[in-house]
Amino acid sequence: MRILLAEDDPMLGDGLRAGLRQLGFQVDWVRDGEAAERELASGVYAAGVLDLGLPRKDGMDVLQALRARRVTTPVLVLTARDAVPDRIRGLDLGADDYVVKPVDLHELGARLRSLVRRAHGQVQDSLRCGGVLLEPAARQVSLNGEAVALSPREFDLLHALMRSAGRVMSREQLEEQLYSWGHEVESNTIEVHIHHLRRKLQPDLIQTVRGVGYAVLRDPEAA
Amino acid sequence: MLRLSFNSLQARLLVLVLGLAAVVWLSAAALIWRDARHELDELLDGHLAQAAALLVVQQAAHHDDDKVADAPALHKYAPRVIFQVFHEDQLVQRSTQAGAAPMSAVERGFSTVRLADGSEWRVFATQGAEHDVQVFVGEQIASRSAILRAVLRSVLLPLLLALPLLALAGWVAVQRGLLPLRHLSEVLGQRRPEALEPVVLEDLPAEMQPLVAALNGLLGRIERMLESERRFTADAAHELRTPIAAIRAQAQVALGADEAQRQHALQTTLAGCDRATHLVEQLLTLARLEAVPAGAADIVDLAELARRVLAELAPGALARQQQLELDVAAPCRVTGSELLLGVLLRNLVDNALRYSPDGATVLVSVALEKDGPVLRVEDSGAGMTAPEMARLGERFYRVPGHAQPGSGLGWSIVRRIAQVCGARVVTASSARLGGLAVSVHWAGRGEREV
Repeated sequence: MRILLAEDDPMLGDGLRAGLRQLGFQVDWVRDGEAAERELASGVYAAGVLDLGLPRKDGMDVLQALRARRVTTPVLVLTARDAVPDRIRGLDLGADDYVVKPVDLHELGARLRSLVRRAHGQVQDSLRCGGVLLEPAARQVSLNGEAVALSPREFDLLHALMRSAGRVMSREQLEEQLYSWGHEVESNTIEVHIHHLRRKLQPDLIQTVRGVGYAVLRDPEAA
Repeated sequence: MLRLSFNSLQARLLVLVLGLAAVVWLSAAALIWRDARHELDELLDGHLAQAAALLVVQQAAHHDDDKVADAPALHKYAPRVIFQVFHEDQLVQRSTQAGAAPMSAVERGFSTVRLADGSEWRVFATQGAEHDVQVFVGEQIASRSAILRAVLRSVLLPLLLALPLLALAGWVAVQRGLLPLRHLSEVLGQRRPEALEPVVLEDLPAEMQPLVAALNGLLGRIERMLESERRFTADAAHELRTPIAAIRAQAQVALGADEAQRQHALQTTLAGCDRATHLVEQLLTLARLEAVPAGAADIVDLAELARRVLAELAPGALARQQQLELDVAAPCRVTGSELLLGVLLRNLVDNALRYSPDGATVLVSVALEKDGPVLRVEDSGAGMTAPEMARLGERFYRVPGHAQPGSGLGWSIVRRIAQVCGARVVTASSARLGGLAVSVHWAGRGEREV
């Protein structure tokens, strides 16, 4: 899951990026409000973590501008401003969650997963398709009740596809969701991972729509 | 109770109004008395003279009649008016009450005499053309006084009756006049304690406008102060929580990381602790400074102080290949607290080192200039724009774009210490080094070394 972190404090930003990466998130880190707005508006992020006291543009203004532009990416506000009027204002301006510093990294991860889940209309954290069960918090996948070992990239790819079950995703969209900045993407990486996933799980789990992309079908039982 | 009632505007106004009314009325009565007496005297004296002239003329016509004639009393005032007519020193006519001896020794004109029975009389005497007739006409003075008293009574009696009415009217008027004041106190009484918006009253009397304006001014100042405190609290929360959040995040990262990552995370955790410590120390310094009264008065040698502070800070500067120089001509004494001035200088030099790049130069100079001693800290860093300089000293303000951690409190501390030590701080661009130049001036307070 690719997350945008907007935090101007170098020490905290560094810690949050490292911590969220440990939890399996792809993290891009920006240090000012204008960059945060620009990146979040690009639509490639599953969610954003936004500090309010950002240089160049205040977090509240970023939030307001994003929602005015109809950007629906879930945003978690992470701030030291704990006054109730600030919380109310943040949530009313379009924040999906409001967390006061300091925060436990695991809680932050859980809240981000929950935001992304709700953005996709899911109730439960785990995703199911046929015999395949994906649990984002534990980063585990099982096939018919038996655990399957996936590489982090394979897991992220499957997660991205299952999160958007029933929708075709282009290779570019998948790459954007999988790779944070500084990671070079080789031209056929996605195809390789898809191939591995089909082999490790079910051959017909991921459908190829030639010339368009890939899709995981919606779970017939869930419907 | 009496004092309490005189503390009331109402009682004061009432007493003043009634007192003044009484004084004015009494003065008017005194004037009327004087005037009336004068007019009355002239009128009655005129009557006396007229009556005397009449008697002279009459006597001239019947001077052969030598028998004393008593005039009948025709009016109730008659006993108060008497006359005597003498012909060749012989009493020929008189009124009933008049005696036989001449009333007055004065033979012509007015005189005031006391008769044998003790009563006082106003007497007009005149003589006939050949001096053989002497006429006296007298009028009892008491009767004049009675008339005057009646006049005075008619003036003063209404006052006595009117005074209670006036008091009542005054009370009502004052009550109504003070209505806006009562209204104001009601409005203030009904306010929520936290309401600080200006008091707005319609149809405010001109006399109360300065009062309400002053009140609104006070409310405004309180609101600004509270707002500043609120902002300080919010900023302090941000500044304190951020390093703690960083420490927490880094510690959690260290728990779940491989060896290389763990080392980095733990180093960062320690740096975070140092930062939090620095911040707390600065906050405490600032809090203590708020309580220090202005005007501390040690004699401090700036040169010696600068030497000591620079010796403390030099190792840190050397580690970043920064040049730290001291330029002192002679000892330079100023008034102030040695301890506080040390904190001030340490903050200034620390700022200069912190916000200048590696290899930069920081120059501290102490000099006695023509308008007093000056302590100057200059650096070869990037300097500051005018708006940035203007915002220095706002608590927690940090010049944007600096990766160096700082509390943003150093400037507040410097400003406060300068204030306490009677100095002023000036920021400018450094002519020598191109970066920021901060100078602390003591206006003419220095003592030249002798």
